[in-house]
Amino acid sequence: METTDLNLFVRTSEETISDWDRSKIADALIRETLIDRDTADQISLEAEQMIRKSGVKVVTAPLIRELVNAKLIEKGLEGARKMHTRLGMPVYDVDSLILHPNKENANVPHGPEATNLTLAERIKKEYALLCVFSQDVADAHMNGDIHLHDLGFIDRPYCSGQSLEYIKRFGLDLPHSLSMAKPAKHPEVLLAHLIKFAAALQSNFAGAIGWDAINIFFAPYIEGMSDDEVKQFAQMLIFEFSQQAVARGGQAIFSDINVYWEVPKHFETVPAIGPGGQFTGKTYGEYEKEGQRFAWKLFEVYKEGDGAGRPFFFPKPIVHITEKFFKTQGHMDFLYHISDVAADKGNTYYVFDRGETAKISECCRLSFKLDESDLRDAREPWRMRYCALQNVSLNLPRMAYMSKKDDTKLFNLITERFVLATKAHKEKRAFLEKLLAHGEDGPLALLTMKRDGMPYLRFDRASHLIGMVGLNEMVQIHTGEEMHESKKALKFGLKVMAHMKLLSDKMQRQEGFRLVLEQTPAESTSYRFARLDMRYFSPASGRAVKGDIASGEIYYTNSTHLNVKYPMNPIERVTSEGIFHPLIEAGSISHVWLGESQPYKEALADFVIKTFRNTTNDQIAFSPEFTTCNTCHQTGRGLLDTCSYCGSANVDGITRITGYFTKVSSWNKGKRGELTDRHRVGGYFADQKKAANE
Amino acid sequence: MGIVKIFYKDDCPMCPVAKRLGQHLEAENVGVKHYNVETAEGLAEATFYRVMALPTVVVEDEDENGLGEWRGSVPKIEEVLSAVRNA
Repeated sequence: METTDLNLFVRTSEETISDWDRSKIADALIRETLIDRDTADQISLEAEQMIRKSGVKVVTAPLIRELVNAKLIEKGLEGARKMHTRLGMPVYDVDSLILHPNKENANVPHGPEATNLTLAERIKKEYALLCVFSQDVADAHMNGDIHLHDLGFIDRPYCSGQSLEYIKRFGLDLPHSLSMAKPAKHPEVLLAHLIKFAAALQSNFAGAIGWDAINIFFAPYIEGMSDDEVKQFAQMLIFEFSQQAVARGGQAIFSDINVYWEVPKHFETVPAIGPGGQFTGKTYGEYEKEGQRFAWKLFEVYKEGDGAGRPFFFPKPIVHITEKFFKTQGHMDFLYHISDVAADKGNTYYVFDRGETAKISECCRLSFKLDESDLRDAREPWRMRYCALQNVSLNLPRMAYMSKKDDTKLFNLITERFVLATKAHKEKRAFLEKLLAHGEDGPLALLTMKRDGMPYLRFDRASHLIGMVGLNEMVQIHTGEEMHESKKALKFGLKVMAHMKLLSDKMQRQEGFRLVLEQTPAESTSYRFARLDMRYFSPASGRAVKGDIASGEIYYTNSTHLNVKYPMNPIERVTSEGIFHPLIEAGSISHVWLGESQPYKEALADFVIKTFRNTTNDQIAFSPEFTTCNTCHQTGRGLLDTCSYCGSANVDGITRITGYFTKVSSWNKGKRGELTDRHRVGGYFADQKKAANE
Repeated sequence: MGIVKIFYKDDCPMCPVAKRLGQHLEAENVGVKHYNVETAEGLAEATFYRVMALPTVVVEDEDENGLGEWRGSVPKIEEVLSAVRNA
């Protein structure tokens, strides 16, 4: 051995310092790639020579790996290099991550746990693009043709809808947990089970966890409680969900609770489960009053807000408006009650289930229409657990830049991208199937548990989502008009969506799995696509992106929405936007931005009824704006620079980003640009009231 | 004169009857547009008109103001002609 060998040390990834040993390079190459021993030996020799020439005394394992990778490239062994590569981050990036908040997702706070989450996400994202998806899919994501959502959570499904009945019936019996809890006998215990189960689910899904008919399923436990006790219980539920900030990366569980004033038809004659997991001998139809009491109290709590009078960010309450709702006693009082909350705090989401359609809403917008087999499942509601495996969004404006006003080219491009997105779904599906195949000993043990005889995650019923960003800009670039500007432009937008809907039906038949369109919430995607298009498609993109180019606060209009800046009365907006909703099976929403005004509850209730009766809009939410003071802990209306109570400048603005409330300071630049542009319509409701009085 | 829009698809039982109605109307010099909801163009138009049942027949004036509509059924030719001539 030469003396230089004795002086050369390696800092290994096992946190030790080892003597130089060239054979380790060759061993790694043979273990991790498909190259032969001779080539591996040759590469290790060449890498050693490079290191010796440099005169360095201590080398790190990552440096050696990169030098070896360079040699692999020199020899044209690109495939081997991909297999041998290392995933990680530059020191500069880690440094800035630890110091600065992550603005890609406003629901991630800043702190050591959040940093852990972001670091892990970065590595998993790289892993996904390298190892889960094929090169063409990964490249399309990287260059912004499509967006693969939640890549940092590649090893779990996207979002889910859950049933409280599962834990009511089977207790909290999770794989590998330290203790097993039998079905709850008391409401508080059931609530504790719910929150813990939600946290466990958050660790197994990337996004939202929704709970169906929460007030109906809690009803048997509420029987016998006084109104004050029900209120206290409602308060516990909402605070428990909204303060569950100790789970994944300090991130609150993105939770939805679905609320019904009536007992939905499909649960009416279903035997109710009560304390101890026992059937109570009654049907859920007989618990209507208890369900209503709980629903009422939940909204009383929402109306009060948190300790500083701020709206609760989570859980999001989704109220289903159905034909039966209007036939159920007390519905107008309840509609005023929830509209009072909508006007004051903005929490209420109104989902419209018209005709005989029964729906489950779960994610930001994701909803499922129940088919016949779902309705059979409703007889045993603990079976009603649904999920979407992944969401892939298409960058619509880009296709318009590329097709240069040629219809055939444009529709061909949409088809190409759609097929690519479907391929991405097949790849994620195959990867998850591999993980799930390990059963209760594998990484997704929770999703494979079979407490009711079938795996918790019903893979065969999973949905695969195709989202869209910037339909309005696509139409603008292609036809010269935005969708609000003419019927012709609006109809062209409809044609694009109709094409996508027909494609999803066709691909679904072809692939044999559920493939549906969804309005992508696009919290960061609309910004990302706009930014990338400014880089690749300037100057055309400069004329299409919305926001302020000089400050970089640019964005594309979300999904199929109309330009947020255009001054349009809200009924016109929900009507026009609602035209698209029947084509988007997995869910849509229209936002009504209220600004600082606080409309009368009667005006909002009337608006909701009109939307239900006269439009095809699937879902609406009213969004007020608030300023909350970190000095005096009071909350006032409007987005202000200083507190209107004490004058302090230490304030936070709060309003809805896409599908949830959060602090404006945590928003990315694109969303901040959109916030500046949003046309507030609070005045419309004030005028309505005035006109009614006159 | 009003314009008639007929929405159909290939495998719905009553749609051939609606298509024949369209042909008869054309023979009477009425402007008829056919929309197959299994094409992007047809589905887009059907979505715009909130067509939930097939076949659907819509009569409009030149400014697209509604003069008559039959959803999920096929009207008699006289009914359509009467609506068309009311324009």
